[in-house]
Amino acid sequence: MVKSGFDRALRTGATYATLCVLAAFCVFPFLWMLDTALKPAGEVRSVNPTFWIATPTLENFRHVISDANFLLYFRNSVVVAGGSTLLALTVSVFCGYALSRFPRQPLSRAVGGALLLSQMIPSVLLLAPLYILMRNLGLLSTFRALILVYCTFSIPLCCFMLKSFFDTIPLELEDAAEMDGCSRPKFIYRILLPLSAPGILATGLFCFVTAWNEFLFGYVLINNDARRPLTPAIMVFKGPHLTDWGALMAASVLAVVPVALFFVYLQRFLVDGLTTGAVKG
Amino acid sequence: VLGDDRFWPSLLRTGIWTFVSVAGEYALGLISAIALAQPIPGRTIFRALIIIPWVIPIVVAGLTWTWMLTPDYGVINLWLIKVGLLSKPYYWLGNLDSALLTVSFVNIWRSFPFYTLSLLAALMAVPRDILESAAMDGAGAFRRFIYITMPHLRAVSLTLILIHVIWTAINFDFIWVMTQGGPLNSSETLPIMIYRFSFEDFDVGAASALAMMMMGLMLATFFIYWYGAARPSDEDAAW
Repeated sequence: MVKSGFDRALRTGATYATLCVLAAFCVFPFLWMLDTALKPAGEVRSVNPTFWIATPTLENFRHVISDANFLLYFRNSVVVAGGSTLLALTVSVFCGYALSRFPRQPLSRAVGGALLLSQMIPSVLLLAPLYILMRNLGLLSTFRALILVYCTFSIPLCCFMLKSFFDTIPLELEDAAEMDGCSRPKFIYRILLPLSAPGILATGLFCFVTAWNEFLFGYVLINNDARRPLTPAIMVFKGPHLTDWGALMAASVLAVVPVALFFVYLQRFLVDGLTTGAVKG
Repeated sequence: VLGDDRFWPSLLRTGIWTFVSVAGEYALGLISAIALAQPIPGRTIFRALIIIPWVIPIVVAGLTWTWMLTPDYGVINLWLIKVGLLSKPYYWLGNLDSALLTVSFVNIWRSFPFYTLSLLAALMAVPRDILESAAMDGAGAFRRFIYITMPHLRAVSLTLILIHVIWTAINFDFIWVMTQGGPLNSSETLPIMIYRFSFEDFDVGAASALAMMMMGLMLATFFIYWYGAARPSDEDAAW
């Protein structure tokens, strides 16, 4: 397209201005959280807040880790999120494979439909039934309860993600393997899994992050402080009235760090995944 | 449950909360996607920055904003006063009129990057040659956008909006973390009500009844979408 230099400059300027405003809007709360976490108590409660920290301190982190036991909550979250990721992946690899290779079978259509439907059932609606179920099973306040519950929403997600990754692996490969006398389980394990490793990793990380960020079930199903995951722990730590914002923000930083690290890796899959989805229609 | 005098206001608030959030998210998402689709250097950095809110756990996002919005030491109030927009600190989350809208605003902040990513992917798929031939025929940038780009974004937009109407309507975490439905129930939506029924009143029957009604609403939304989405695809086929 032909454009005058002035027009183009105006456009670039407007684009940069929009992007800068949006980026500032997005990043500011995050930076402010970091900033508050590093401030001593006196500066947190200042009527003249700035980004400048006169005496940066790790006191808040020390307080959160040694006095409030946040390392324990952190570990609980790792156990729960890791456990549910492993379980969900194990189930979904097979389910995703079946959905990808036999899309026209009535059974896999039914399962696919059921999975899609289960994605649309809001978690709040399941809250009371799951609570009662877990109580009857005697699983309240255990890691197992949370792992099982997280699987209810991560398995459908994983199945669909894995299905689309498996779809990209050509059928000819499978035929060739079969010709050479390779059984189906062996094919999955020898050829399919190694080939789709990046996809599986991305799915797993996505699943982990979802479980890590989950709040509601961790809040409701766990009443034992020693088993509480990180996100509900932060909420409980806030307390009803007086809040130690510096320490709270330090705890928040702890909760964000692993997610942020994973995300650096995940980002390209997110964009790719959405793009391929859009192209395929 | 229908006789409960909290039900109708709560339903109305769920509607406001969902509408404000989804409309705001879509507008911001579209603007940011268009800006990111421009061929300028450094846009990968901007893309990464804009995705940040979406990765932050809801609890953390909610609490960070609560902290920034506190009346006595929150940055937002103090800076707004400094700039001169406010004469005294305003208790954003503690006033009947503003609590729900403030939480919606924070929800917009956290959710719009998802729209950005999806719309950006769709924008990239808009065929350039159609745009160029339209430009050749003298269509201005605005008209090109309305008549060519927007129709291409329609399918993605519909899906996005549907998913988010559902996700937003059922969202419990944000409201609970920031206001717990208060002050005086002014930000109590249906999910919060379900929670209160089951874990404060221990009336699981009422909670389940409410849950089933919400489920019905969700299904209704889904079917409206289904028929809404079926028609444009017919048009596409004809075109």
